[in-house]
Amino acid sequence: MLLKNKNAIITGSNRGIGKAMLIAFAQNGANIWAHSRKESPEFTELINTVSKDYNVQIWPIYFDLTNYAEMKNSVKQINEYKKTVDILVNNAGIMNNSLFQMTTKDILYNQFEINFFSIFTFTQYISKFMVRQNSGSIINIASIAALDGFDGQSVYGATKSAIIAMTRSISNELSLNGIRVNTIAPGIIDTDLINVMSKEVIEKNIANTALKRLGKPFEVANTAVFLASEYSSYITGQVIRVDGGRL
Amino acid sequence: MTNLEKYTNVFAEIFGISEKQIEKLKYQDIKQWDSVGHMTLIAKLEETFDIMMDTEDIIGLSSFEKGKEIMAKYGIEIK
Repeated sequence: MLLKNKNAIITGSNRGIGKAMLIAFAQNGANIWAHSRKESPEFTELINTVSKDYNVQIWPIYFDLTNYAEMKNSVKQINEYKKTVDILVNNAGIMNNSLFQMTTKDILYNQFEINFFSIFTFTQYISKFMVRQNSGSIINIASIAALDGFDGQSVYGATKSAIIAMTRSISNELSLNGIRVNTIAPGIIDTDLINVMSKEVIEKNIANTALKRLGKPFEVANTAVFLASEYSSYITGQVIRVDGGRL
Repeated sequence: MTNLEKYTNVFAEIFGISEKQIEKLKYQDIKQWDSVGHMTLIAKLEETFDIMMDTEDIIGLSSFEKGKEIMAKYGIEIK
């Protein structure tokens, strides 16, 4: 188990890649503060099942990424556990595609609010726990849309580019406090998020992928486990593509 | 231990200096209180007094004395 006795925060852990991360981190022995926007019977059942199956502690935390008062309150709750915070996975985000000339200010601001500003603020809060203990691993989830550029993703790609720029900058700043910061850039992963893409676009992407298939959420999660673990102790400030090989 | 003692101890522990040096200490007066030392100081103050400081206050904590005023905003009387 790569993360035995480590404590991790995973945002957006109720579905898709975040849910896969919740399971993968638990499989590897981590205790987890599992974030979701709101409480639901499905999420509660997921937490209870995973906690029991892998004999780890999972504590739910709920806040809307655009509600900074709720976020601050959750950080206070985490602080009250008086445990180390060894790992932060900034996974939660949205994808709202629109062609450049059809992108409204609402689409622009909303995606930046959720995909970047909130993550920036949450990372400010959580990194202070890591500074106290002089160690930690922060893993941000971006996208190959930030690196390659796809139609209709000028805003989504820009928010993820911002995440990459933040990663590179704060990996330098926080390295002096023993904190590593890396980003995963997934390709097309088989989650609900791709429902906004047409069948043709998905098929075109598969054709442009060396492995000729969509990625699976656990394949991104396994990379996050690696970056969270001591096996990546000399890796910081990097962007790791998990994309099946783009042609 | 009084709040003043706790507050002073944080500076002494983080920067490794004597009480006499601390009283008039300002940001960047000594090499230890650089930007990295500042974040370590903030993290330790938050932990010691169980508070969460706003970004404006993290920026504003420019001296040992100024820090006392900022602590008061969080209900911590340094005396």
